[in-house]
Amino acid sequence: MMDEEAARRLVYGAIDIVNRQLPAAKRLQKAPETIIVGEGGALDSLGVVNFVIAVEEEFADATGAAVQLLAENMLGDGSPFRTVGSLARYIAARPA
Amino acid sequence: MATAPDRLYFVADFNIEPLARELANTTRPGLETAIAPPGPVMAALAAGPPAADWSAVVWTRPEAISEAFARARAFERIDHDQAIDDVKAYAAAIGRFAARARSVFVPAWVQPPFARGWGMLDHRPGIGATDLLARMNVALADALVGAPSVFVLDAGRWLASAGVRGWSQKLWHAAKCPFGPAVIELAAADIAAALDGVGGRARRLVILDLDDVLWGGLVGEVGWSGLTLGGHDHVGEAFADFQRALKALTARGVQLAIVSKNDEAAALEAIDRHPEMLLRRGDFAAWRINWDDKAQNVANVLAEVNLGAESAVFIDDSEAERARVRDAVPGILVPDWPSDPARFREALESLRCFDAPVQTAEDRARAGMIADERSRRTALAAADNLDDWLRSLEIAITVEALAPANLDRAAQLFNKTNQMNASTRRLSAGELAAWAAAPAHCLLTFRVRDRFGDYGLTGIVGLELAGSRARLSDFLLSCRVMGRHVEDAMLHVAAAHARARQVSTLVVEVVPTARNKPCLDFFLGSGLRETRHHVFEWDLSQPYARPDFVAVADHARVAASSDP
Repeated sequence: MMDEEAARRLVYGAIDIVNRQLPAAKRLQKAPETIIVGEGGALDSLGVVNFVIAVEEEFADATGAAVQLLAENMLGDGSPFRTVGSLARYIAARPA
Repeated sequence: MATAPDRLYFVADFNIEPLARELANTTRPGLETAIAPPGPVMAALAAGPPAADWSAVVWTRPEAISEAFARARAFERIDHDQAIDDVKAYAAAIGRFAARARSVFVPAWVQPPFARGWGMLDHRPGIGATDLLARMNVALADALVGAPSVFVLDAGRWLASAGVRGWSQKLWHAAKCPFGPAVIELAAADIAAALDGVGGRARRLVILDLDDVLWGGLVGEVGWSGLTLGGHDHVGEAFADFQRALKALTARGVQLAIVSKNDEAAALEAIDRHPEMLLRRGDFAAWRINWDDKAQNVANVLAEVNLGAESAVFIDDSEAERARVRDAVPGILVPDWPSDPARFREALESLRCFDAPVQTAEDRARAGMIADERSRRTALAAADNLDDWLRSLEIAITVEALAPANLDRAAQLFNKTNQMNASTRRLSAGELAAWAAAPAHCLLTFRVRDRFGDYGLTGIVGLELAGSRARLSDFLLSCRVMGRHVEDAMLHVAAAHARARQVSTLVVEVVPTARNKPCLDFFLGSGLRETRHHVFEWDLSQPYARPDFVAVADHARVAASSDP
């Protein structure tokens, strides 16, 4: 298990990666309330794919374990990817 | 004409959007980008770029261009000549596309790092895909030699540098782009560097600190014999290795200079006498070794070598000095510098600011020209006055029309000359050749030498004839020969050519830029009449006088252009 603060830093690492491909005005803020997926989010479908895969790779780097997050049911209603904070909590709750 | 903004068009057989976004949003913010509509690459190449002032990236996977290669990767027996024929057809399509573009960047083909193919047999000719892909890349580069505005980029280095995350099958399956963010970032950086090179923005001068940069230790304290440099010491080896890399850089046409807070006599003694020094006094175009403010010293060096800050790189081990120069000298590149000398060479060779679209004889000879220039300055110091010195130089100019043999150098000069440049028009080699081929156009090149040495091709005049007027569309001269009345001799030749074509007025407009005030000053003092703001005219009923101490051999002379 990873603590929530470490999980949030991991998500921030993924934000650094996807922000390079976003215009300055649309870049994701490194804050728990930042919306990632769904209404109000700044990422288009390519951005979401890049972000989720970036999170998977950050997770693997941090824990040495693989995680599969890119799935339809991960991105719909109630998705843990809704905000930075919800994603950090989801990651922190996962066994490494 | 002001420098045109960069516009970049993308043609690919995979989702190239991440690269376009990386370039436009981070590497080169504000870059205008467009992506070819979905469909076959060959169709996109046939359709051409949006306009002739666009550059393009054409990036494909090898299996998309050659079915034979795809079958080789599936361990089928194939006719490898078929794959090479596929490459030639692809290269021909790129060549036709490039004729309608400013420049084209083609990343070399790569395989996924996990693709082992036949293992120990994969480099065996006629069997392995690795061997075949190497041959395909060479065939691609060979087939594009005749297209000077096409540049094959080393995508293999991007993949190797990016490590295990460089290639992602998951990204390929989910987003149809096999390259991870690290490869995209490296590709974008190299493409931006290539755009800078094509746009004449490559840097040409490296200004170096001495202590703990060229050698280990403080020469003022330990003397030259106490420095750490070369020898049987890994730190000394690292400094020698860095000097070797700097020396190699001069063979690319990049000049070196020194700005160091030091005792000048002690520092120069080290440069002259230390047996392990690879860089000697003659390798440096200028130096300021004193205890003055480094930013001011940098400015003085730039003035001495006649280059702007945007042409220079400053390397110093002190973070405070780097910050000072970065703040006080806008435009100069001050890279972060590692503290470990073992990483100096890597830091230098990782810089992307020296990439140029051509390598000319002038570039290769530049290191030798530094010694020539120092001899000139010594003669100037000994002369009674500037005129005596100029006469003593025995300046001789050779005028030639634009030709294949001088096209690369002419295009290089076109794209990097800033100060003595009336229009600052930037054209690729292909665009320049096409412009010069028009019946009403005349493009003259000027080679300059004096008794100390050969400056090479350093000046260009473009003439555009329209009715009774000849417009000097281009008037540019390398900063290395500015102020030696070569400008006047060029104007003399331009007027002679215009007179030979029976026109009555020579007109030139100086389009102001941040850097070309020397050009405006020249025309203000040239004797041409300023008829409108920054527009100058010469009545061609009279020749424009040639400076009597500049000899001119005009091999581009047309009948009746016999002005003395």
